[in-house]
Amino acid sequence: MSVLTRMYRGETHFDFVGISKKTLIVSAALVVLSLLMLLVRPLNLSIDFTGGVIVTVENEADVDITVIRSSLADIGQAGARVQLTGEGFILIQTEALDAASQDELVQTAGGVAGVEVNEVTIDAVGPTFGAEVTRAAIQALVVFLFVVALFITWRFEWKMAVAALAALFHDLIITAGFFALAGFIVTPATVIALLTILGYSLYDTVVVFDKVNENVELMHDRYTYTEIVNTSMNQVLMRSINTSLTSLLPVGSLLFVGSFAFGAHTLREFALALFIGIAIGTFSSIFVAAPLLATWKEREEDWVVARKRAMRRRSGDGSAVIVENASAAPTVVPAMPSAPTGASGAAARAPRKRKKRR
Amino acid sequence: MNRKKALLTLLITLAIAWGSIGAMLLAGWAPKLGLDLQGGFAVVLVGPEGTDADTLDTAVEIMRRRIEELGSVQEPEISVQGERSIVVQLPGVDDRERALEAVGTTGEMSFRPVFGLVQVSPALTDPDGDHPENLDPVTGLSDPDDVHATIAYLPSEDGSFVYIVGPAFLTGADMKGGRAQFSGTGGLGGAGGWVVVPEFTDDGGEKFRLATGELAIYQVGSPQRRLAIVVDGVVGSAPEVAAGVSPDEGLDPNQVVITIGSSDNPQAESEDLAAILNYGALPTTFERERVESVSASLGADSLKAGLIAGLIGLALVMVYMIVYYRILGVVAMLGLTVFGSFLVGALILLGEFQGTTLTLAGVTGVVVSIGITLDSYIVYFERVKEESHAGRPLRPSIDHAYPGAFSTILKGDTVTFLAAILLWLLAVGPVKGFALTLGIATVVDVFVSYYYTRPGTWLVAHSALGDGGWFSVRGAMGKKSSQASTSVEPVEVTS
Repeated sequence: MSVLTRMYRGETHFDFVGISKKTLIVSAALVVLSLLMLLVRPLNLSIDFTGGVIVTVENEADVDITVIRSSLADIGQAGARVQLTGEGFILIQTEALDAASQDELVQTAGGVAGVEVNEVTIDAVGPTFGAEVTRAAIQALVVFLFVVALFITWRFEWKMAVAALAALFHDLIITAGFFALAGFIVTPATVIALLTILGYSLYDTVVVFDKVNENVELMHDRYTYTEIVNTSMNQVLMRSINTSLTSLLPVGSLLFVGSFAFGAHTLREFALALFIGIAIGTFSSIFVAAPLLATWKEREEDWVVARKRAMRRRSGDGSAVIVENASAAPTVVPAMPSAPTGASGAAARAPRKRKKRR
Repeated sequence: MNRKKALLTLLITLAIAWGSIGAMLLAGWAPKLGLDLQGGFAVVLVGPEGTDADTLDTAVEIMRRRIEELGSVQEPEISVQGERSIVVQLPGVDDRERALEAVGTTGEMSFRPVFGLVQVSPALTDPDGDHPENLDPVTGLSDPDDVHATIAYLPSEDGSFVYIVGPAFLTGADMKGGRAQFSGTGGLGGAGGWVVVPEFTDDGGEKFRLATGELAIYQVGSPQRRLAIVVDGVVGSAPEVAAGVSPDEGLDPNQVVITIGSSDNPQAESEDLAAILNYGALPTTFERERVESVSASLGADSLKAGLIAGLIGLALVMVYMIVYYRILGVVAMLGLTVFGSFLVGALILLGEFQGTTLTLAGVTGVVVSIGITLDSYIVYFERVKEESHAGRPLRPSIDHAYPGAFSTILKGDTVTFLAAILLWLLAVGPVKGFALTLGIATVVDVFVSYYYTRPGTWLVAHSALGDGGWFSVRGAMGKKSSQASTSVEPVEVTS
């Protein structure tokens, strides 16, 4: 059977935790690079955050908003916000400019509107998404993370909450780092995109952990924690792939259509932030959150005992092909007797000290 | 689950979903679009000469809060422009006057003693008398009103009387806030009506007690026994201190209501006053320089591109889901219309009754929620597959997989719902719009999963499409032949 067929049938046995030893290094490096990037090249905030200038000019030539936008794009002001008023004026907002670009902007505006340059007024304008709004948003975020951590601790356990938040920060930092690197403008829409990523990342991690917990109940007296995590990941693999594909398809088409086909610049950065974030969010729930959890849990006394017992049993009957290596993870994952929810057989042996669970 | 129950549940859900959205569309209702998508109007407010930057920033913040408190307008864009102007852009709402009122009025409030009550300003009847400064030459009324002036002439709400009032006992700064409520006896003449219940600071409460005590020494029925409640230089009401109040004790500040005088919309007025009490007076007065309509900032081109992209994306998703999950993919796509009907229906209702507008941020919430609801199907179908591959017969797998899948969906949705609630409560501006659609979507998702997906999938699996080859449920499980298992499939176990 080809890999694809096995994936389709849900019969893969990838050693995710083992693979993640390498990917975690890459992840950590990316996070560090992103942080450095953010320090070296701070995010390019849009006029909604920083304020800028507003140009008001009477629309003598009665030009269309699309025409105005494209002539602004020609002088490097593709990100400008253009509005027409009911009284026949054009309003153009851009970031604060140096004298030369400001002159250029005034000339372009006058030219496209068909009026003399001295009839164009230019004024400073403050932020609409100012310090107060930003403060409120950050406060909301902090409270939110706290409550989510409490929720995961309550439904699962606190180590899972920590792992989920680690994956979350991983996603946000890398996405932000990418924005800093590319020099894209951060608009309020981008902030929304980041919040979306946050939701996706958590949702994805919760689904994976839910499976892990379910499998712990079924498999805890025969397998090591790492093996249970691996099995769970293989079981949710197709869900993860399908969910990210179905989420990425609309965002991808927004990115493609929005930026290339119609020249709608407003949507491009937004779609890009979403695209990168969702992709990283899926990656991190498999390659960051779960491996971190596995490595951490393997150190718990119960699971150290479980590991020893599993090894002993396997060396006894010689049926498994476990190769112990220096790290905690076995390099080959045992072929699980696929044990679905509540199927009998898994708990035939007398259970060891039961973990607290719901 | 049995056939009758499944069919009934499914039909009721479909009827509610499609019926309600159909009815709303027939009634000509549609979601109200926000400033960035549809445009709106802009008002330019100019402060007095020499207004400093801090004052402008404070004013912007108070205006933003007041508008959000109105609840009828979503996501205004407010910014300082030039030296001393503030530009407020609002979506094209119906009651623009009310919104303008909220941003434009200073909202300075004071409780003042009444010295006298006359029909016409004394400045007009007795031009040579001793009068306060700053009188309007035409009306003879104090303009602007200074709350600390020793004497002022102020009009009543309907303009039929002139109150001669003294310096303020206490002002808006002595109040923590207020809330509008309907009182059975709060209206004029003891009838029911809208009132505002003010909440005083500790200091303010004490000042209020002293003030009412001071007024209680006057005879019942005398104008001097009245307490004028002044908002922006107009006496909103001037209730008399009740008979029997001891001058030594005054009135309990916790038992005060401010009645709303004659008004076309007393509810709106009391809410506006409460908003003013909650967020304080503007630090300075602003002149309304001009009001003009503005076009959408996102632009029709962007909106069109976004819509086309959305449709293409949806088509791709549809193809993928149906190729991958066959008939179950069709179940999911039909479910998406149920989900969409509920979500859009909720947004329409909020638009109609709360004036909630849908901005780009809100639309993003919708796009994200499509991902969330599709995930619910995928979680369920993958579980069915898993059960089926573990050797369980097809139809029992369908039943058996649901509880676990629903539990996962519920947990995932709870996390997202929490996020939405918190963002809604704590954040302002576009983040709020996003949170709203996302929050509604998670609730709808859980509902649709339980009342549509479960019976829908069950029915499909028990129909000819359950077992019939490539496109069937069995086909979606990746099992080619149904010969071997159909013969041994046990009798259905109802759950």
